Formats: sequence, structure tokens, C-alpha cells
Amino acid sequence: MELTETIMELCAMSGPSGFEGAVADRVEELLTPYTDEIRRDVMGSVIAVRRCGKENAKKLLLDAHMDEIGFIVTGAEEGFIRFQALGGVDPRMLPATAIRFMTEPPIFGAVSVMPVHVLKDGEVEKPTKIDDMVIDCGLTQEEAQRLLPPGTPAVYDTAPVMLGEKRISSKTQDDRSCLAAIIRAMELLKDEKLDIDVYVLASTQEEVGLRGAEPAAFSVRPDWGIAVDVGFGATPDCADWRTQKLGDGPVICRGPNMNRTLTDLAIRAAEENGIRYQISVEPGGDSGTNTAVIQTAREGVATALFSLPLRYMHTPVEVSDRDDAEDLARLIAETVKLVSGGERDA
Amino acid sequence: MLDTLKTLCALPGVSGDEGCVRDHIVAEARRCGAEVSVDVMGNVIAVKKGAAKPKKRLMLAAHMDEVGVVCVGHTDDGYLKFACAGGIDRRLLPGKAVYFKSGAAGVIGFKAIHLTTSEERQRVPKVDELYIDIGADNKEAAQKLVRAGDTGSFSPVIRELHGGLVRAKAIDDRAGCAVLLKLMREELPWDVTFCFTVQEEVGCRGARLLGYRLAPDAALIVEGTTAADLPGVKGVKRITSVGGGAVIPFMDRATIYDRELFAVLSALAEKNGVKWQTKSYIAGGTDGSAIQRSRSGVKTAGIAVPVRNIHSPNCIASAEDLNAVFELAHLFAESWGELEV
Repeated sequence: MELTETIMELCAMSGPSGFEGAVADRVEELLTPYTDEIRRDVMGSVIAVRRCGKENAKKLLLDAHMDEIGFIVTGAEEGFIRFQALGGVDPRMLPATAIRFMTEPPIFGAVSVMPVHVLKDGEVEKPTKIDDMVIDCGLTQEEAQRLLPPGTPAVYDTAPVMLGEKRISSKTQDDRSCLAAIIRAMELLKDEKLDIDVYVLASTQEEVGLRGAEPAAFSVRPDWGIAVDVGFGATPDCADWRTQKLGDGPVICRGPNMNRTLTDLAIRAAEENGIRYQISVEPGGDSGTNTAVIQTAREGVATALFSLPLRYMHTPVEVSDRDDAEDLARLIAETVKLVSGGERDA
Repeated sequence: MLDTLKTLCALPGVSGDEGCVRDHIVAEARRCGAEVSVDVMGNVIAVKKGAAKPKKRLMLAAHMDEVGVVCVGHTDDGYLKFACAGGIDRRLLPGKAVYFKSGAAGVIGFKAIHLTTSEERQRVPKVDELYIDIGADNKEAAQKLVRAGDTGSFSPVIRELHGGLVRAKAIDDRAGCAVLLKLMREELPWDVTFCFTVQEEVGCRGARLLGYRLAPDAALIVEGTTAADLPGVKGVKRITSVGGGAVIPFMDRATIYDRELFAVLSALAEKNGVKWQTKSYIAGGTDGSAIQRSRSGVKTAGIAVPVRNIHSPNCIASAEDLNAVFELAHLFAESWGELEV
């Protein structure tokens, strides 16, 4: 399957933090051809391993999270749904946003806010809080309580679309585009002989605080851990040192959360194979990605962080570059090869 | 009729660029046996002969255009700057997809929450600060995909909700167009002139021509109107309620509707058991404002479908209300030749 197709397929699925089951099922199917064993841990994360056949082989972990930004029902008033966000949502983009509840069959709705004629002077300038929004699904109060009880999850109801020929716009590219890139990397490695075991971790609950990767890193006990997550793509309203340009290649992150030797090895993998890459800097000890919890698992793990430049992160219209994603898959595969090839000092 | 509404809502037709909607309506009207013409601004006039010619000429009008965006220029790094066509609450623009008639898709970009400052999160961005990403890397590439002046409409994806409700862009006023098309398919006792207007959302500009050209004795405007029946909105400020039936307005911000026709419509609804409501707040405006004051004046009335999230990418309306509006329009058209007004 083409990487872009995998990205679009995975992004179209519903799986906010804590409700990743359906995505996990599909991820297991996609990983089956390239791995030897697959299991699901207690947090719902998918852990797949490609064995090299050697006893006590060293282990490299590739992580991307399956969960997405979403919403959860907290109650109903007059049939309208009250809700909170799962993960970091800027409420300013929610008015009139299309919503899909994860029921069978799905229930659809849209976010409503106080209309302009009800607002006092100047209030239109002020963002509405999520507490003051409702989702309108056309339900009576009785139906709302029965069909969408508190705890029912929901996601953005938007379909992936290509912008021009190279750019993908979709919800949930954070982080399923990177998960798709890892699956693609495993495909690229299919006929490579490796002398390490490669673990793929499709982790849960990243958006609510890196909760799935922590126990998974503990149980896998890897020697090396590479987290692959989205990074900030440059946009007209933000083009400072924290952002990277779409189309200029995948990003290798540097900083205290990342092991210097493994990071330098990744840079070498890119340069030796003519893969365009960009460097980003995470000056803090916690990069805000699963790298933070993988690094400190058990007695410690040598980590690296790769990212895919992504515009409008956490919105229903996140945008990435098709070629960046493909190059990200190559970067992952070439780095795995270098680590496997005996670069054991990391 | 819901199918007709969905077909119409999916078509792009931002004010001044109603061609796709017009083509569909012209074809449908011809299929109904109406005599169809298109005027210089693009309004559609479909004269449907009934069993008899009434003493007074009745015109029914719905507008074809919808609110959307217009590309006003390109940035050096390949983004579009845009303006709104029609009144769009800017609070609902960030993070929405727009589709240009050229085939290009775009999204209204919005900074990742992680990069925003607390000051930024306290204010709603102005349209000037927003931009559309169409996947172009530079000005030249962007210009090839979308030209300045091209219009973009919101997502054409339509969902049926619970309780017979539907979620779509452009319900204002494809709902009116759907009602008129269905009525045109009926055998009517009297001749009726069906009008599908352009540019209502930018100042009722199309309807102005029709009032002059047709010089009708009476006009019935079939519209979508604001429903604000949400938790937290009290009393009259709800304006109308979805599921509350056809809206017969006595007044909005642009028109005081003809008292006699208001009485006729409400009596017809009462007598025939058509669920109806009126507006409990003076808000909005319709093509009625232009038609009422054309030539020496036209008796003008309105009926409307209540719409939540009106002028947004995700309007919500009820199939029951749509049917009520149709029934009332049908009753009015049937009784027209015998009314003493």
C-alpha cells in the first residue's frame, strides 16, 4: 500500500485517547506481514516484534502513538451534548465544527456556540470556553441520555483530502502519519538481514500525558528507543526556531531528551543515504513526546526523536507533506540498519 | 424533498458565482415543464403554467447563493488571503476546509495550540490574520491553483442527524430552492412565477432586478432563518426553534411583511394543521426587502425554515420543518387566485 493511502486510511479512523481499540486492530493487521509476534498490553498499546533469531539480541523500539485529539460526553441539556476535550484543543477553532460520536451506528453533530445576536458588545471578540459550547445532534433529552451517556467518545468528523499534489490534510496526522511511516519503514526493512530485534510500539493515551508508552517501554525493556511524532510545521503566523518547513524533509531532534550518540547515528544515516533532513532543538529535558517516558524507563534507554513537520497541529485540518513522510520512513529504516550493523556504542 | 435539499446543498454557489446551482435548477425547472429564462445577473425565472391565469401575478423567490470565501490575493509563500462573501461569524472560520471551483482544496490554517501565547488564546483572530493553505509553496504555484476572485465554499459533506435533522453547508437558502423545485413539480391551479435569485447574501442584489422585471402583484420569499434554540439562550432570543414548524415572519431588520399576507399565511397554516411559528426577535433580512420596494411596491410575505448554525459550514435544519414550509407554500399557491388581497 502506498504510504499516502495508509496515512489517509489510519487518519480517517476514530480513536481518541483511551478509545484506540479499532485503530489498534487495523494496526495489527498492517504490521502482521513485517513482524513475528504481536500483542496488546493492558493499556491497549500494540507491541509487535520482528525477531532476528539470535538469543538475547539487543532491542530497538520504534514508537508512534495511535490516539488522537477527541472529545468526551459529560452530560446533556435539552438534548444538546455537553463535552470536554481529550487532549489539547484550542476552543477557538471549535464553533461550527463537525463531530462524530463513536457509537454504532455513528451519531453525527456539530458544535454550537451562542449566536452573535445573543452576545453583548465585544463578546464576539472573546473565545467561547468549551464549557459554554454544546454539540447539536438532533436528540431529545431522553435520547441523548440513552444514546450518548457520559463517557461516550467523539472525534472530528472530517475526511482526509489532498491539497495540491503533495500535501495531505486530515485530522489525526498527529500521530498516525508517523505510525504509517513506521509501518512503511518495516516494509522497507522486510528483506534486510538484521541482528537486533525491532519492536514497533503503537502507543495509547499520548495526548493526555504520554500514558501508554511508559508501561510499554517498561515491558519491552529496549536498548534503543526512537519515538516518531509530529513536529511544528512553519506557517505564516509562526515561523520561528520552533518550526520546520514542510517539504524540507523529516526532522531529527536534538536536546537532553535525546541520546547524542543515537541522534548522531541517525544524522549519519540520513547523510549517507541522501535523505533530506532538518534539525530541531528541544532544549528542555522533556521533549513533550513519548521520548520523555521511554528515556527514563527502567535503568534508562538511549533515545532518538524523529518528527514529521505538521501544520495546524491538533486541528481537524492538519497538513503534512507526502515526500517528508516517505523520507521519514527511509530515515527510520536506514537508522535501524546502522544500529543493527554494529553501532553499539549508543 | 430531503434528497433534493442534499443535492442542492452539496453544490457550490457562493454569492456572485452561482453557476453550478443555476445549471441544476434550470435543468430541473425545464423538466417540470416551466418556461425558463436567465437574466443578466444570473437570476433564474421559471414560469409554471397552472390551470388558469390568476388576476394577480404571484412570484415565489428563493436565493441560490450561499456564504463562503473569496480569494483576494496570494502571499509569497503560497497561501491565499481571503474575504468572506456574506456575513460569516469569524469565530467559526479557523480550522475549516474550503473547496474552490477550480478543483483546489484548501484549509483555513490555525496555529497549533502549543505555540500560542495566553494573550492569543484570549482573542478571536480577525479575518485579515487568517489565510488558506492550498498546498502551494510559492505565489506562482498558488496562482495556478486559485486565482484572485475565485470563490470557495465549505465542505459539501452532508450528514443526517437524529430526529430527521440534517447537517450541511448552504441550507440557507437551498432549503428555499428545494421547496420551490418541489412545488414546481405539482399540478397547480394558477400560474406561478418561480424565481431563484443571486447575491442575496451580499445585499439582495439579484432580487432587485426581478422585482422590476416581473412587476408582480405579490411575492412570497422562501428562506432559511436563524434558530437559536440552544441551552443558555433564553426566551425570545431563541428567535425560532428547529422542529417548531414553518416560520412566518411579521418583520425582520429589513422588511415589515405585508400584514394581510401574514394573516392569510397564518390562517392557512392553522386551518390545515401545518405547524408554524413566527420570529420572536427582529433579526436578519431577506430578498423581500428588495422586492417589496421595487417599482411602485409589491405585497411581500415570507416563510422560512429555521436553521441552527446558519451561515456556517455546518447548518442544521429539520426535514419536518422543510415539509411544513413546502405545505404552506403549496397551500398559498393553490389558493392564490381566489384570495381577496
